[in-house]
Amino acid sequence: MDKPQISGDTIIVPSDTTYLAEVDEFVESKLTAAGVSSSLTADLAISITEIVNNAILHGNKNDPKKLVTVTLKLGQDDVEVSIKDEGQGFEPDSIPSPIDEANLLNQVGRGIFIVRSLMDSVDFRFTSGGTEVILRKKIKE
Amino acid sequence: MKLSHKEIDGVIVLEPKGKIMGGPDATLLHDMLHDFIDQNKKKVVIDLSKVEWMNSTGLGILISGLTTLRNNGGELKLACVTEKIESLLTITKLITVFENYDTVEDAVKSFK
Repeated sequence: MDKPQISGDTIIVPSDTTYLAEVDEFVESKLTAAGVSSSLTADLAISITEIVNNAILHGNKNDPKKLVTVTLKLGQDDVEVSIKDEGQGFEPDSIPSPIDEANLLNQVGRGIFIVRSLMDSVDFRFTSGGTEVILRKKIKE
Repeated sequence: MKLSHKEIDGVIVLEPKGKIMGGPDATLLHDMLHDFIDQNKKKVVIDLSKVEWMNSTGLGILISGLTTLRNNGGELKLACVTEKIESLLTITKLITVFENYDTVEDAVKSFK
């Protein structure tokens, strides 16, 4: 696959960060159409692009033959987002806290921390085929 | 993201517009920031009024610019931070690291 493919509530992208903007556009169009507020849409778009960026760079290691699959499940009150890569996985709890004084000026290492702050829950599933990150967020007050 | 810049009283004001989420758009901001540092322009303001949001890639670029400038005797300041970005700066405690002004004019004046 040499370009993103959209099917219903799923977008599949090759491992190239050039396609982050298309993931964002897909996510924002689906959430806006579902009547999700602009602030919550931004929180979800920030979180999804964050995880997709990690999946491309760290999971699939920029291998264009490997894909990242993003699926939105929009419910009445909440949204669940699945982001799958084909990488070897990682240990989420081994990432140093970016808010420790010693790490405050680090250029990287804030992604998962930000996503955990913005979402209601973040779960990781590691399998031989890759990593799946599942985000959940209430969309009704 | 689109990026423009101007110079006011010897201070470089960078004006990104859109979203800073990684990929080639983010490289633009990083490269322009470092081009000015290479030209010995050490007083920089980033006007964030037209940035809808950024993720950790954007924050990393701001930190990279700040530390490079400070290591060279300069400073990077923020102006017109939107509510969404201020919330990210607060979550990550970077609000304590950056000088942050309500207007570009105030940020520029603070260099005097």
